[in-house]
Amino acid sequence: MNSSSAEGKRRQRFDSLVTVFHQDMYRFAAWLSRDKAIAEDVVQEALLRAWKSLDSLRDDGAAKHWLLTIVRRENARYFERRRLETVDIDNLTASQAALLAETPNGELDDLREAIFGLDDDYREPLVLQVLMGYSTSEIAEMMGLKQGAVLTRLHRARHKLKENVAEA
Amino acid sequence: MTGEQDKEFQQYKALDLKIAKALQIDVPELDMPELPDIDTAKVASLPARKRSMKSIWFAVAATVVLATSIGIRNSGMFESYETLAEEVLAHLDHEPGAFRNVDIAVSDERLARAIPASLATYDRGASLITYAQACVINGKDVPHLVIQGQHGPITILLMPHEKVAEEIPLDGENIKGVILPYGKGSIAIIGDREELLEPIQENVVNSVTWTT
Repeated sequence: MNSSSAEGKRRQRFDSLVTVFHQDMYRFAAWLSRDKAIAEDVVQEALLRAWKSLDSLRDDGAAKHWLLTIVRRENARYFERRRLETVDIDNLTASQAALLAETPNGELDDLREAIFGLDDDYREPLVLQVLMGYSTSEIAEMMGLKQGAVLTRLHRARHKLKENVAEA
Repeated sequence: MTGEQDKEFQQYKALDLKIAKALQIDVPELDMPELPDIDTAKVASLPARKRSMKSIWFAVAATVVLATSIGIRNSGMFESYETLAEEVLAHLDHEPGAFRNVDIAVSDERLARAIPASLATYDRGASLITYAQACVINGKDVPHLVIQGQHGPITILLMPHEKVAEEIPLDGENIKGVILPYGKGSIAIIGDREELLEPIQENVVNSVTWTT
């Protein structure tokens, strides 16, 4: 196979994967960072990193997990670099507020704000389970936790959301 | 399950559905960064995927009844197919392991992984689901399930993003099936020629709700 043909196929493979999983990557980044601008930056960095290490992905069936893991690491790197403080739900920046204002929906706005206000420790496993479809054992592996800890966090996250929704 | 537990379970499911909807925020257009050149000469090629010459689907693909051609389609994995029907059958060819007679049901967790709440909900009811995998067809997420019928495995592909105008019959030497239009998407159901698929189609359609 000549070099340009190999490059073309590599690019084609990358584009195919990114087309399928871009939405998941962005939503995961957005709910991790709770900031529209940061989510976009994190996804850009993750795409670059994925492009550079594409050849380490042996099985395209594992691409979603691979890409989300890259997003998770890039998000952690971003916050490490910036040393950002935890989001104060009553004092949002414009970019944070912009994320909450996405897709306004009367029925869901309160719930979305409640998810936004969850601690990172609770919000991340919830997003991984409900939005991304991961099992608790997979989440435990991804987050470096024991499965019991994931189950506890998920239970507490749902409990908090239930309370918030009931109060609203 | 007691009445109280059942009520709690239904509340839990309803809350999860709301959470899934709340998490589905708008996504901006893909803004691809400038990708640096990679020296592919230094990269080891992955082995090409071999197609099984003995595949039961091989003869089928050639006899697919095709209502309309819908243009060149890209599978996302370098192979092109002219129709959704061909692509569906080629996909089954790629996952022969799914087409086995087994009686072990997949776990709820496995099923949830194959069918993310952001795509669809599936009420498994009393059906024996023996295979559940998140797959990609035509570049889109497609949950792939196998249930056990009277005459062997029955494949179900949930395709929330593949709208079809009308039923597309699939007809082969040993199998038959259909791609059903369903809301904004479609559902492929394929089983043995002897299998009575109509009641299964009805059950499947009643079990699926698109959430995307």
